[in-house]
Amino acid sequence: MGMNASRRILHVDMDAFFVSVELLDHPELRGRPVVVGGSGPRGVVAAASYEARAFGVHSAMAGAVARRKCPQAVFLDGRHARYREVSAVVMDIFGSITPLVEPLSLDEAFLDVSGRVRALGPAPEIAATIRARVFDEVGLTCSVGVAHNKFLAKLATETAKPRATPTGPVFGSGVAVVDEDRVEPFLWPLPARALWGVGPSTWAKLERLGVATVGDIARLPVDALTRAIGPAAGTQLHRLARGLDDRPVEPNVAPKSISHEETFAVDITDRGRLEREIVRLSDAVADRLRRAGTTGRTVHLKVRHSTFQTVTRSITPPHPTDDGLDIAVHARTMLSGIEVADGIRLIGVGVSGLEEAGARVEQMSLLDMEAAGRPDHDRDRRDLNRAVDEIRDRFGRSAIGPAVLAESGRIDAFEDGAQQWGPNAQR
Amino acid sequence: MKFRCERDVLVDGLSTATRAVSSRGGALPVLSGLRVHLEGDQLRLTGSDLDLTITVDLTVAGDTDGEVVIPAKLAVDIVKALEPGAVLFETEGDEAKISGGRSEFSVNLIPAEEFPQLTAPSAESATIDAAEFADGLRQVVSAASNDDSRPILTGVLLAPEGTGLRLVSTDSYRLAVRDLPGATLLREGQTVLVPSRALNEVVRALGTAEKLSVVLDEREASFRVDGVRLTTRLIDGAFPNYRGLIPQSQPNRLVIGRGPLIDAVRRVKLMAREATPVRLTMREGSVELVAITQDIGQAHEELDAHYSGAELTVAFNPEFLLTGLEVTPGDEVSLETVDSLKPALLRSTESADFLYLLMPVRVS
Repeated sequence: MGMNASRRILHVDMDAFFVSVELLDHPELRGRPVVVGGSGPRGVVAAASYEARAFGVHSAMAGAVARRKCPQAVFLDGRHARYREVSAVVMDIFGSITPLVEPLSLDEAFLDVSGRVRALGPAPEIAATIRARVFDEVGLTCSVGVAHNKFLAKLATETAKPRATPTGPVFGSGVAVVDEDRVEPFLWPLPARALWGVGPSTWAKLERLGVATVGDIARLPVDALTRAIGPAAGTQLHRLARGLDDRPVEPNVAPKSISHEETFAVDITDRGRLEREIVRLSDAVADRLRRAGTTGRTVHLKVRHSTFQTVTRSITPPHPTDDGLDIAVHARTMLSGIEVADGIRLIGVGVSGLEEAGARVEQMSLLDMEAAGRPDHDRDRRDLNRAVDEIRDRFGRSAIGPAVLAESGRIDAFEDGAQQWGPNAQR
Repeated sequence: MKFRCERDVLVDGLSTATRAVSSRGGALPVLSGLRVHLEGDQLRLTGSDLDLTITVDLTVAGDTDGEVVIPAKLAVDIVKALEPGAVLFETEGDEAKISGGRSEFSVNLIPAEEFPQLTAPSAESATIDAAEFADGLRQVVSAASNDDSRPILTGVLLAPEGTGLRLVSTDSYRLAVRDLPGATLLREGQTVLVPSRALNEVVRALGTAEKLSVVLDEREASFRVDGVRLTTRLIDGAFPNYRGLIPQSQPNRLVIGRGPLIDAVRRVKLMAREATPVRLTMREGSVELVAITQDIGQAHEELDAHYSGAELTVAFNPEFLLTGLEVTPGDEVSLETVDSLKPALLRSTESADFLYLLMPVRVS
């Protein structure tokens, strides 16, 4: 398993990414409190500069509240396409250091540099190189955590971050290292909530055991923990509390695929809401599949918990599909196996294994016949999709869509990049 | 812990228990291991992925009792690779020493306290004829789905039928139903849905055994044969109403030798590439099989057969058709159809204990 060989893992997180990109493009705003998002009547703050944070503005805060706390702030609409463009340059820099890059979002990634130490120097030096290159080549700052696993690297990053204070931002160290023999003094004083997987419900159970810090968890007998929160979660938490985490850095060597994802302004715990989002994303994926004249073989679901733990699942149904309902049904099935009570931050739906849609040959199903009372279900879906595509060509994406997406007279269809900061953000 | 055991006996035991060990790793690293428990001369090997648990009891020459968890796949590979003869297994601190002939391995152990406590279901056990049960399972497990997105279809339904037991599975494209008259396993009205993956392992473990002992409770099923016990979680949920799918009368009936049809489907299938179907055209006195794959080529074969009904062409997934023919007993089969879009019913002309219902492929 390679568990014993010590790995060198970096966690790189851009500092106030969206805001920093805006400052890059609008240097005249430097030093002023800047807020991205929160402009619409129900808009929510997507990011705040350190100056704005000093006034108590933070992401996911309602725009109205942010304006009250910091009336002098400059409020900007988000420009998703621009952030993606900058992100691609940053990720390229990571990729030039090691092929083992696992992006977590536009502004965050894990890098496994174990194999690069000989060529590039110790991991903290590599971290410093990355910071310097990102600054020189893109003009942005980032913070880097260095450790022997992903869990500790990510925690370390937090301690390297700049902090907002009433007298202005205080720069962080930029690079924070957790040495293998210094895990306990680093980890154990942290509040237990710092561990991945400790959401509100787990927290309540732990509190009953008298747990306050990570160290408290580590000192608990593992069976007390598994009795309280179940064998899988208990064992996993106990391992994390001892700083053990052997998950590999998994580079996205994505096959040719089409996907969409949504980051929520506020973590979602309502499964119904997530299922509705799945319908929305699946509809958008299917739309693109049909426009490209392809069908997908494998359906993927990606879910990021409020703890940033990201899980992905995939299913390969017997037949390739370009139907949004079909994709949504599979994605929803995968979601049903995932606990959402601790809050979901991001959800994504995709398909891979794309192939040209050819002459249609379809294995019919005994059970559809039973359910629908007729064997023509698939053909009907195809006719329906063709009609939907034509209507959207003429009247736009929001002209028609799955009924579950209807909201006060319009269809809340997925428009890439437009949803997170708009007035719909708190839907 | 310390014991001595014949290599072949140990390899068998380790391999069997390892079959429950998930190759995907999963949330609990300890589940990539096997628990090895020795008490006196009784060695118990346990592998589990929390859904399926396989326990193997072996008699060995025990020296010192103990309990450890060893990496499963590695242990199998090591013991398998040793020279034939006695294998010595001995633990020292957090290592296990495995030696045989002049080879010696030391393997880092996995902390045993993390291994889940697994309990066997505690209901009354029933005994069933092993050969007949294995035969029935083999016929139905291949029609179960392996698509985890529809968990219910990955199971085999065990239900009472008359005075016997009925096994049912469907992946929604085909349905297999086998009756075992006289086999009693269930309470009246009791039905259970057992993961087909576990039943595959049961078939494998049955070998030439005569009797199989089965314990069923609300959540788990446990199968015990010789020194091997398989415990599996049951699937929760309602199995589709399969009775409504089985047609009562079909206007068209093809009767044909099973062996010749299997051979013909295998040949023609070579040209059914990229999910294209095999087409069967049935008419008085014959059936014609055709497979055409664009840009690759085609295959064609005609067989003599008895056919009553209107001339009809139906397309099938060749794999599904072949599986059905292979698990249907007897030398002669009947294929009953309505039209090219309705399910076809495949049965032996000699026995009413088994049926296989197959949905056609539509070509448009």
